Amino acid sequence: MSDALLEVRDLAIRIKGSGRNLVDGVSFGVNPGETLCIVGESGCGKSLTALALMGLLASPPLEIAGGQALFQGQDLLGLSRAQFSRLRGDRMAMIFQEPMSALNPALRIGEQIAESVRRHRGASPRAARARALEMLEKVRMPAPEVRLDEFPHQLSGGMRQRAMIAMALANDPALIVADEPTTALDVTIQAQILDLMRRLRDAEGTALIMITHDLGVVAEMADKVAVMYAGRVVETGTMAQVFGDPQHPYTIGLMSSMPAFGAGSGRLVTIPGMVPPISAMPPGCRFASRCPFRRPQCEAPPPLVRVGDHLAACWRAPLEQLEVIA
Amino acid sequence: MSDVILEARALERRFITAKPLFGAPTVVHAVSGVDLAVEEGETFAIVGESGCGKSTLARVLTRLIPASGGVVRYAGRDLGGLKPAQIRALRREVQFIFQDPFSSLNPRMTVGALIEEPLRIHKIGTRAERRARVAQLLERVGLPAQAASRYPHEFSGGQRQRIGIARALASGPKVVVGDEPVSALDVSIQAQVVNLLADLKREFGLTLVIIAHDLAVIRHMADRVAVMYLGQIVELAPAADLFTAPRHPYTEALVSAIPLPDPGARRVRARVAGELPNPTAPPPGCRFHPRCPYVIDRCRTEPPTLSPRDADGRQVACHRAGELALDGLGTATPIRSPAARKRFELYRLARAAQAQPDQPPAEGGPTQQGD
Repeated sequence: MSDALLEVRDLAIRIKGSGRNLVDGVSFGVNPGETLCIVGESGCGKSLTALALMGLLASPPLEIAGGQALFQGQDLLGLSRAQFSRLRGDRMAMIFQEPMSALNPALRIGEQIAESVRRHRGASPRAARARALEMLEKVRMPAPEVRLDEFPHQLSGGMRQRAMIAMALANDPALIVADEPTTALDVTIQAQILDLMRRLRDAEGTALIMITHDLGVVAEMADKVAVMYAGRVVETGTMAQVFGDPQHPYTIGLMSSMPAFGAGSGRLVTIPGMVPPISAMPPGCRFASRCPFRRPQCEAPPPLVRVGDHLAACWRAPLEQLEVIA
Repeated sequence: MSDVILEARALERRFITAKPLFGAPTVVHAVSGVDLAVEEGETFAIVGESGCGKSTLARVLTRLIPASGGVVRYAGRDLGGLKPAQIRALRREVQFIFQDPFSSLNPRMTVGALIEEPLRIHKIGTRAERRARVAQLLERVGLPAQAASRYPHEFSGGQRQRIGIARALASGPKVVVGDEPVSALDVSIQAQVVNLLADLKREFGLTLVIIAHDLAVIRHMADRVAVMYLGQIVELAPAADLFTAPRHPYTEALVSAIPLPDPGARRVRARVAGELPNPTAPPPGCRFHPRCPYVIDRCRTEPPTLSPRDADGRQVACHRAGELALDGLGTATPIRSPAARKRFELYRLARAAQAQPDQPPAEGGPTQQGD
């Protein structure tokens, strides 16, 4: 664990002055070259976690309420704005869901990529432009010389996402944080972008934190998985562990909710209700209000502990033992 | 087999996107020569990527917008020459559910008024009867009766979609067309709404036409599926066959691009390169040929036509349909430990034991959207 590239411990994020944390005690680690997928539904805190790591949290109203995020031994959560902007786009970079709103509409694609190369590497304008072209070729942008001088609005959604990946990779970062990078894309374009990300990641040895709501994308990309619900990690392990041997009732409910291919068309087994608002969050296990296995003991917050061969935060896990007790 | 309830013949819909003062206007053929027949009581799905014309097709089929050419028939009646009053009467029987539950409900009307509106317009029942019907519909879609006096913004996305469904059902329609009815929803909420639609379909004997880009949802819900590409149907088949044994290269590409939530299944293979061509100038010949891995010379010049329905109810528009062996989805069963399988079974049983499986807990009530 000591060779982790990024080690997040007990990260907590809240609205200033609020008693309840939106992100509560989140811990995970990413090793060099490894891909961690953080999966969960709207409001689970996965995007807030990503933004906090990049120093992009809207503060105020949000603030970091506690925790540590050691990146190459340096605590990200204590960095000043100036320190963060030296780091971002250089040793770590981010890919956003909506390339249209993340790219500067008034700058040509080539200029946007070159900007970060010049800023962090002190490259000459000519060298930076050459690097931009090289990057566009690397992400297999169609007609890269032409795209270099085009504006974001002239590109399709898939091409914009390629441009953003080119920008993120331009300075050979050690870590990329990608927030739903393919959610806005059509399925055939999504397949192309996932292929591209996997190939580049493997070729460059870049570590990747991928935020997604799609278990299908997780299965295509992840080495490790962290399942989040209402601001907490409820289950985490290697991909094979989480998919092959899920322990937490939320993970099981989420997988049951997905229409499975080849499984016919019976009724879906669902999770009842919805995520409670933060003001009405149960004090203990945050999933308790929707969990079919809840018991009075669930009013205390369950710790994330080893169940089987990986970690889950459920008082009642492993569930198969319930049969014996009940 | 069963009776055809909604039918399109050589259906066309063109949009003028730019009309310069001089010279020819730019025209998009959003729907271009579509033939289809929806049978009574089935769930018919139309799939395709953005810009393929599936939403336009749904709107033309329900006469929300008029066709530019061809014929739409509902229960044998041509919808082409209808007067406004007749179109309103048609709405009683053919209803629409929109994708975005945030923009399709008037924010200044209470939920009760929204659901009652179709009843009022069609002059169904007395005021008291309409109120009772609203309460009944709310309960049926899993919302508390007090919801009637609240406004749409007080509800989450999933609850708003339930309101949209209640509104669509109010006038007692025979056909309900849903344009991406669950794609804006989170997985756990999506599953609840998918189940709700299946229950309502059975209960009210509805015919469903579902437009979607999420193939997993379609595979689960639909009896038959039409695949669209650039305004045309390229394949039409029973859902199970379409996914396990596609006959059009574009269907194969779509199916193989789905990221499966099963690590053992296989890795994504991006089978088609490039992106959707500009719909104002579709390629000659087969419209898919610039991206097709199996293209031959004939495809570049001669447009294929949709074949007549064969014994298995399948239709395809591809010159090479007979000779290609295309890959479908295997019957991927997730690799799970015996203990995990037991856990899934326990979860299913525990859910089944709960009184109202797909309804939000009563004490929760309407809440603000949390994100």
